[in-house]
Amino acid sequence: METMQPTLIRGRDVWDPTHMPKAEFLERVSKIQNEMKKENIGVLLVYGKSFESGNICYVGNTVPRTAGGGTVIIIPQQGEVALIYGGSSREVFATKQITWIDEVIPSSRFAEDCVNYLKEKNLLSSTIGTVACKRLMPYAQWKVIREGTKQCKMVDADHILTGMRMVKSKRECDQIRRASRIINHVLGSIPDTTLKNMNEEFLEAVLDKEARMAGAEDIRILIAKPKTGEWALRPPEDAQITRGDSLIIHLAASFERYWSEGIRTFVAESASLTQPKLEDARALYKRITQGIKSGKTASQCYKEAVDELQKSKVDYIPTYGLGQGVGLDLQEAPMLTGEDSTMLKEDMLLTLHLAIKDADLGAIMLGNTIYLAKDGAELLTKES
Amino acid sequence: MSGSEKLNRVVELLDQRGLDGLIIYSSGATMGPKYLYYFSEVKPLGTHNAAVVTKAGDVTLLVQPQWDTLRVSEKGWIKNIIGSSNFLKDLDDVLLKSKITGSMGIVDSTAIPADVYSVIADRAKVELADDLIEKVALERVSEEIELARKTAKIADTGFKACLENVRVGIREWEILAEIEYAMRSAGADDCFNLMSSGKHNHAGHAPRERKLREGDILIFEISAICGLYIQLCRTVVLGEPSKIVLEKYALLVQALEESLKEIRPGSPSALIAKAQNRVLSAAGYGEYCRPPYMAKRGHFSNIVYHAPDRNLDEHVKTILTSGQVVIVHPNQYIPETGYLMCGETILVTDTGFERLSETEAKVYVKEV
Repeated sequence: METMQPTLIRGRDVWDPTHMPKAEFLERVSKIQNEMKKENIGVLLVYGKSFESGNICYVGNTVPRTAGGGTVIIIPQQGEVALIYGGSSREVFATKQITWIDEVIPSSRFAEDCVNYLKEKNLLSSTIGTVACKRLMPYAQWKVIREGTKQCKMVDADHILTGMRMVKSKRECDQIRRASRIINHVLGSIPDTTLKNMNEEFLEAVLDKEARMAGAEDIRILIAKPKTGEWALRPPEDAQITRGDSLIIHLAASFERYWSEGIRTFVAESASLTQPKLEDARALYKRITQGIKSGKTASQCYKEAVDELQKSKVDYIPTYGLGQGVGLDLQEAPMLTGEDSTMLKEDMLLTLHLAIKDADLGAIMLGNTIYLAKDGAELLTKES
Repeated sequence: MSGSEKLNRVVELLDQRGLDGLIIYSSGATMGPKYLYYFSEVKPLGTHNAAVVTKAGDVTLLVQPQWDTLRVSEKGWIKNIIGSSNFLKDLDDVLLKSKITGSMGIVDSTAIPADVYSVIADRAKVELADDLIEKVALERVSEEIELARKTAKIADTGFKACLENVRVGIREWEILAEIEYAMRSAGADDCFNLMSSGKHNHAGHAPRERKLREGDILIFEISAICGLYIQLCRTVVLGEPSKIVLEKYALLVQALEESLKEIRPGSPSALIAKAQNRVLSAAGYGEYCRPPYMAKRGHFSNIVYHAPDRNLDEHVKTILTSGQVVIVHPNQYIPETGYLMCGETILVTDTGFERLSETEAKVYVKEV
């Protein structure tokens, strides 16, 4: 689910090598370099921004924490990996705390420094692969890089990382389980919380603190009041929550770079929120979840889910989609749509959303992070 | 200034510049000027958003994700809103329908990704036009000034929560969680808080695992965001502070006070940094006023300002005008104490300046 981006990723900024050791990153780099060899790519430029940092995290465990900040990781077919970030030299120490990469270069002239580095290291090979550069890099910077490397052929190499990132390692799965525990904890705490102020922004403050105190690095919250005519998910506002309101809460949180999300529907009491039973919706959600299995394509799962929705005669709300991959980005491949032919595999992590109209509540939304095990889907954000 | 007044002013400036249209782009949250937020009066949610304005005064707002159109239509003044699931294609369609083939100005030009730029460049001759919205925004409005005052109170609330909660044994990320809870409860849309703890700090950073200890010097950069940023930089000592810390912090306060004397309409903003560096250099820290130790002495902080002069240093060209919001911080690395933080947000008034923060500039001591 797309969410409001923060200006700064504010939470716990930690790399715990017992959770994600350097060896795992080296293994990833080695696999990337093998793919580069196969495709005759001499050097790979992996670009990321704060709002889409999954690729650079995957390689370097780093994320630009301020909005708009960019980072490039340079991977030669052989040799040392380097990280260049847009920022001051005073940030080198902090950056090195969370990355295994030794060559960390701060830059105020990002693109020029990138080209200079390639020249200095004799990395202006005949073919340069780019990951997310054209899509995310500001035009002016891209132009400098393109002009500085005009003797080279540039090829789009997004597919190398996309393919590798879809199936998670055991350690990655564990990190997403840790992020899911935060989601479970925060969403699970809502019915027990007395709200001294029944205001959307205050509720956001409470949930944000609860997640942060559980170790979250980044937190995103969307809200909707589906009983009130036209509605949509949106960031919380300075608006009262009135007794009897139905309230949909979408919560996403990351733990040491890895994301999980959950969506729940509540009903407002005078100073708290309760969770209605929603037995039919939960049963339907369970049936759809059971249909998502490795060995099927994403589109096949989507079509089966749509069939199930039709069979159940519910009024499905397709606005927010059925779900997608989750990991180092909150939204990543594969997409649970009718068009995505990606074969689902064991050790993929997905989010699965269900939104249906409801006569009493206006609408119900349920959402979870699911792990594709050998024998089916496991809900990591299962309600207690 | 109402939405239609902004639009009329933009159309007038397009005409003066000989531009056929304008694209005001946003990739969502930004540390720089918030051009699209200023123009549309809605905070962008997704990673691609743009207002396309023709010289005839037609305006279309492309919004991502698609489902965010309801919020945008309720909060903003632009009526023609397109929820986009394929931004490049939808932008191209809007340009085609707008029949813009001559010169097209682009705003937030340093953020526009190469892919988006290519779509625009295929339809029109591109001109950088950040300054066009900056000109419109120069006509400051009383609402923005009131917003600055309200946001400053939120930053003060954050620091108060810091003093209430800071203690031996709490982790860096826990103390920032307490601060942000207080700030969000007080109405902050977003927070930008950095800190560092230890006996000798080098820079503020995102919060780490470290538990606070007796004798720690804690530096905080607390920024409340409600459209614009209001920053408060303060230093706290956990336990009895050393004489040297008190002495060196007094130097920073002196640098702050001296620099404030340079703030009035018509004064070159570069004088703020020069005044701070003069005080610190006279005390023998001239070499520490330059990189890698220090670079900027503050920031401009209105919703929109002259982008190249975002950071205050000795070389900025901006001349101060009434209504400007300026963050002034003589934060300084000092070899004897480490990095100390002292700074706050100032409003340029018709006659001089107004301190927006109520939190006194001094070393704060938390007994242990």
